[in-house]
This record gives sequence, C-alpha cells and structure tokens, in this order.
Amino acid sequence: MTEYLETTVDKFIFKVATDRLYTSEGLWAKNEDSLVRIGVTDFFQQRNGDIAFVNLQPAGKMLEINDEVASIETIKVNLSLSSPVRGKILNINQKVVTKPEIINQDPYNEGWLCELSVNNWAEESKKLLSPEQYFIKMKNDAEEEVRKG
Amino acid sequence: MNRATKVNIVPCSGIGKSFGSVSRLAAYYITEDDRPAETEMVPLALLVLGDKETNDTVLSNSSISLDGCKLQCAKKMIGECGGQIARDLVVLDVYRDHRDLKPAGIAELNEAGEKLARALADKVDPIIDQTLGKTGEGKNA
Repeated sequence: MTEYLETTVDKFIFKVATDRLYTSEGLWAKNEDSLVRIGVTDFFQQRNGDIAFVNLQPAGKMLEINDEVASIETIKVNLSLSSPVRGKILNINQKVVTKPEIINQDPYNEGWLCELSVNNWAEESKKLLSPEQYFIKMKNDAEEEVRKG
Repeated sequence: MNRATKVNIVPCSGIGKSFGSVSRLAAYYITEDDRPAETEMVPLALLVLGDKETNDTVLSNSSISLDGCKLQCAKKMIGECGGQIARDLVVLDVYRDHRDLKPAGIAELNEAGEKLARALADKVDPIIDQTLGKTGEGKNA
C-alpha cells in the first residue's frame, strides 16, 4: 500500500507518495520491474485544476529527458509535460484519455500516464528528487502561492 | 400524486472562475429565456445560509444542479438540504463535448463562454421535460 508524506497549507492537503521519485515540475517516476511508470503529483493536479483533456505520446515512441511525454488542458492552463527519464514508451493509460478526471481523483495510482522501458534507471534516477526533497519544494511552492493570494 | 410543475435550477456560486460564470449564465438562459414558467433559479448562497424560503423551494421541487467544477458544491448542498436531484451537470463535462468553446473572462464571459452556456442550457432543456414528466420518461412523473 502506498504511503504518503502529507502537509496542510491553508485549507489544502497535499500528499507525496514515498515509493517513487520526482521532478521539480511535479511529475513522478516509479520503477517497477524494469518499467518506469510516470504520472503527475497531487500538488500538480490541485494547483492546475480540473483536467479537461489529456494527450499522450504514442506507445513505441522514444523519448529523451525533457521531451514532451503528454500535454494536458485544465480549466486554468494548457501544459506540456516533460519526460523525467530517457526511454521508450511501452504502455499508455488509455483510461486517463477518455476520463481525465481520474488524474485529479487518483494521481498516484489509477491516474498514471504512461510506462517507459528505461535502460539505465540507476543512472536516470540520480537526476530526480527523493520524496523528501520534493515534499520540501512542494510545501515551499504551496506556501508561496498562498502568500501571493 | 400531484405532478410537479416547476424544476429548480441551482448553479455554481463560485466567484472568480469562468466555468462557474458559464453555469450561472446557463441558469439565466434557462430560467429567464427558455423555460421561465417551468423553472426557478435557486441561489446557492442562500441555501448555504439556510434561508428558509430557499430551503422550502428546494424541498418542494426537484432540482438540476449546474456546477462549475468537480467539487459539485451545488449538488452537495441540494443533498444536504434534503432536496431531490433530478440531474447533476458539470460545465467541464459539457466543455469536453465542445472543445472549441473555451470559456474565458469572469464578470463578462467571452463569446465562447456564452456559447458554452447556451450548450449547457440546451442540454438541460430535455431534462426539464423528463423531470416534469412531459416525455413519459420523467423520474418524478
């Protein structure tokens, strides 16, 4: 069962899953049996609002780090999501394309975006943030947003 | 059993978001232009405040909630007051069917937002008939 770091900022509760790594932009990457699953964080989905549309790069596509892995349109913004790792897309989560609200409802589990085959996870993972590191950054960002109003 | 003659329309009360504004404009289209004799707008804020007259209105007739976002405050508040929900609609779901109509602006919606409100109002129209039992499919006929 997934465990979380949790904080409350203003009236919002934000969770960070402890079993994966993160980018500072709010994507997570979880290594599972040589596949790396990718998704967005709870803070990302709360900050950007209800998701209206999701476009995912197709299975089979080779991605470099920072290549667009998905684009998301929310009620607030249009976002291009950069791949946190280098690898080939093996599977995409078709469920989030037809029902994007799954990402808002369950960003760490049912709301995953795609799975990549990554050759050198040990090396790739060094560039990512630990849950504790992302938690601190997320908390600072959330508090900054509250201060700005 | 008496057949209901009116349907409550309960839009989002969120301030500062275009999708909430779309729900309110749609509510005006429905209650003032399309079906004034068969619908009544219920201000969500009065429901939240516990206004007795508003609460009685919600208890008297079935309601259609028009929420701006997935928090669905209007739907939840109707339920809290013990009202019957004929249908709950969310602007975002209507927008998914009309991707070319991206709403913008709050006090004054852009043209796309106005058209999206029109699309939402059009979606509500047959639901009013069903709720009032005019099509033989009404839940409350």
